[in-house]
Amino acid sequence: MAFTMTRRNALATMAGGAAAGLLGRAGTASAAVPEMVWATWDSNGHPEYVVPFQKDTGTTIKLSYLSSEDAQFAALKTGSAADWDMINPSLNGSWRYIKAGLLKKLDLSQIPNVAKMYDVFRTTKKVQNDAGDTFAIPYLWGLNPIVYRTDKLDKEPDYTTLFDKKYAGQLAMRDYALESIAIAGLVVGVPRDKVFTMDAKELAEAKKLLITQKPLLRAYWQTIGDLTNLFATGEVTCAFSWRVPYDELQGKMAMGMAKPKAGVMGWCDCFAMPASLPDDKAAVAYKFIDYLLGPTYSSLVAKIGHYATTSSVIRDQLSKEEQATIFIDDMDVMKSFMWPVAPDNYSDWLKIWNEVKAS
Amino acid sequence: MKLPLSRAHLAIPVAFLLFLGCLLPLILLLVFSVFTVDMDAFVMVPAFSPQAWAQMLTKPVFAFLIGKAVMFGLGTAVLAAFAGYPVALAIASLAPAWKGIASVILLTPLYTGEIVRIYAWRIVLGSEGLVNTLLMWLGVIHAPLKFLLFTPFTTHLVLLYNTLPFMVLPIWLSIELVDRRLIEAARDLGARPLHAFLRVTLPLTTPGLSVGLFAVFALAAGDMLTPSLLGGPSGVTPMSMIDNLFGTAFDWPLASALSLSLLLVLLACATVMSWLVLRLKGARAVFRGGMR
Repeated sequence: MAFTMTRRNALATMAGGAAAGLLGRAGTASAAVPEMVWATWDSNGHPEYVVPFQKDTGTTIKLSYLSSEDAQFAALKTGSAADWDMINPSLNGSWRYIKAGLLKKLDLSQIPNVAKMYDVFRTTKKVQNDAGDTFAIPYLWGLNPIVYRTDKLDKEPDYTTLFDKKYAGQLAMRDYALESIAIAGLVVGVPRDKVFTMDAKELAEAKKLLITQKPLLRAYWQTIGDLTNLFATGEVTCAFSWRVPYDELQGKMAMGMAKPKAGVMGWCDCFAMPASLPDDKAAVAYKFIDYLLGPTYSSLVAKIGHYATTSSVIRDQLSKEEQATIFIDDMDVMKSFMWPVAPDNYSDWLKIWNEVKAS
Repeated sequence: MKLPLSRAHLAIPVAFLLFLGCLLPLILLLVFSVFTVDMDAFVMVPAFSPQAWAQMLTKPVFAFLIGKAVMFGLGTAVLAAFAGYPVALAIASLAPAWKGIASVILLTPLYTGEIVRIYAWRIVLGSEGLVNTLLMWLGVIHAPLKFLLFTPFTTHLVLLYNTLPFMVLPIWLSIELVDRRLIEAARDLGARPLHAFLRVTLPLTTPGLSVGLFAVFALAAGDMLTPSLLGGPSGVTPMSMIDNLFGTAFDWPLASALSLSLLLVLLACATVMSWLVLRLKGARAVFRGGMR
C-alpha cells in the first residue's frame, strides 16, 4: 500500500500521536487508581449512571450514599469519612466546608465541560472562598416538592396540609432540621426571604408548631428509599419529599407532586474533593466531574432520575416534554425557588430539631 | 527458669484490653465534656467549661430521653423474663436431640441481620401487612390497626423478640444444672408443683434469670436501630441523640456529657437490680459458693 505524506496526513499523524500520548497518560492515571469512593445521594448516584465512566477509565466508582448533608459534613469534620474520594456538598452549604478547610482547591482548567454550565451556576460565588478560589462545582439541581396520593387527598396539598389533623397518621416529614424548621416557619407566617434567618421568637413559634405536628406524623424519613417504601406500603399518603417516590410509584399508584406557592425548596448539589485527596486520585476526580457535566451523565440522569444537570449540554436534544419534566423548559423557574441556606446559628436549629423529635 | 506467674496473671491481657477499650474512652468523654466548640471554625476548644453539663442538667429533654431508655430496658427485661422462663422450662424438658433443634430455632432470628428483621416486621405489622390483612379478611377489623407499626408498642414488641434468646439461654442452662432430686424431695414432702417451683426451681435458677435480666436490660436500653426505624416519630432515643450530637451537630461536649450521664444512670439501675437479686436466696447461694 502506497502512503503519501501530505500536510493533512502529517497533521493527522501528529494529532493522533498527541491524543495517544494523552490517552496513554490518562489510562495510566486511571489504572493506577482502581477504585474511587463517591459519597453522594442515592438518587444522584445510581450504579448505571457511572457505568460508562468506569468503562472509559477502568476506575470503579464505589457509591457511598449519604443520609443528610449534616451527616456528611460531620463525617468529614470528624475524620470518619477517610475513604471518601469525592463528596457532595450542597450549593448553599458549601461555605461551611470551605470555611472548615475540608475541600481541595479546584483547577477549573482541568474540567473542560465547565464552559457548558448555565451561567447562574458557573458564576456562583457560593463555591468560592474570599480570595475567589473555587472549591466545588455545582452539577445537579431540582426542587423538593410535596409528594402525595391523589386518591387519598381531596385537594392538592400545600405546607399547611403537613400540619392538618385531618391527615393524622398519614404524613411524613424529612428528618432534617434546615428544611423542616423552614417549612414550619413559612406556615407560621415568616416571609419566604426571611425564613432561613429567623430570629429567636420566630424559631420558638416554628418549634411549637413542629411539636404539635409530631403526633400527626407516621414517620420522620431519613433516606428517600425509605420514604418510597412508606408510600408503596400505604403507610404514608403525603410527605415533604424529593421527587423520587413520585417517579418510582407513578403507574403503580395514584401519585401527585405539588409545588407549594408559599415557596418551593430548590436544591443544587456540588461536586468536591476532600482537602487531603492525593494527586493521583484527584486526576481521576477531575475526569469524573467533567463526566458529570458531560452529555452521558446528563442524559442518563434526565431520563432515568428526571433531574437536570447544571450543564446545557443536552438541553436542545430533549423534547419540550422532557425539558418540562426536569424543569428546564423555562429557566426562570429558578427565580421562584427558595434555596435553603444553613444559617450562622445553625447549631440552634439543630438543638430545636432534637428537642422537637424528643418531645 | 520458672517465671513467677500465677493464674491471675492470665487476666492481664484482657484487663489491658478493657482499659483501652472502655476506661480510656470514658476518660476522653469526661475530658471532652468540659471542652467548648468554636462553631465558626468548627473545632473543639480545650477549656474547663461547665456549659455542656449545665445544659444536661437544665434541659428536661435529656432526663426524658434517659428515663425513656431505662423504661425500655426495664420493661423489656421484665417482659422477657415472663416470656422466656416458660420457654426455657419447656426446652429443658425436651429429649436431648430436640434440645439441639430447639436451640437452633431459638437462635435463628439472630443469624439474620437487624435491618432484615426490621423490614420483616414492617411487612408483618404494616397497614397493608400480614396481621392487618388477615384480621380484615377474617372480618375482625374494618380498618388497619395503625398502632401496630411506628408506635412505642412496636418498639417494645420487637425489642422483646430480639432479646428473648438472651433471656432463655441462661435460664435454660440454670435449669439444666438444678439437681432434680431436690424437686422430687420437695414433692415427696408434700409440695404442690407450683410450690415446688417457687421454693426450689426458681431460687436455684436465679443466677440464670439474673444474667438474662442484666443482658436484656443493657441490650434494650442501648438499642438505637429498632426504635429509630420502627418507633415512628417517637423513636428518638438517647443513643440517636448522642449519634446526632457527635455527628450532625458537632457538639462533642454535650454528646460526651449525655453519654456519661446515660452510662451513670444505667449503672445505677444495674446496681439496684444486683442489690435486689442478692436479696434472693438462690443468687446469694451462688455468690457465696453454695446453698446454706
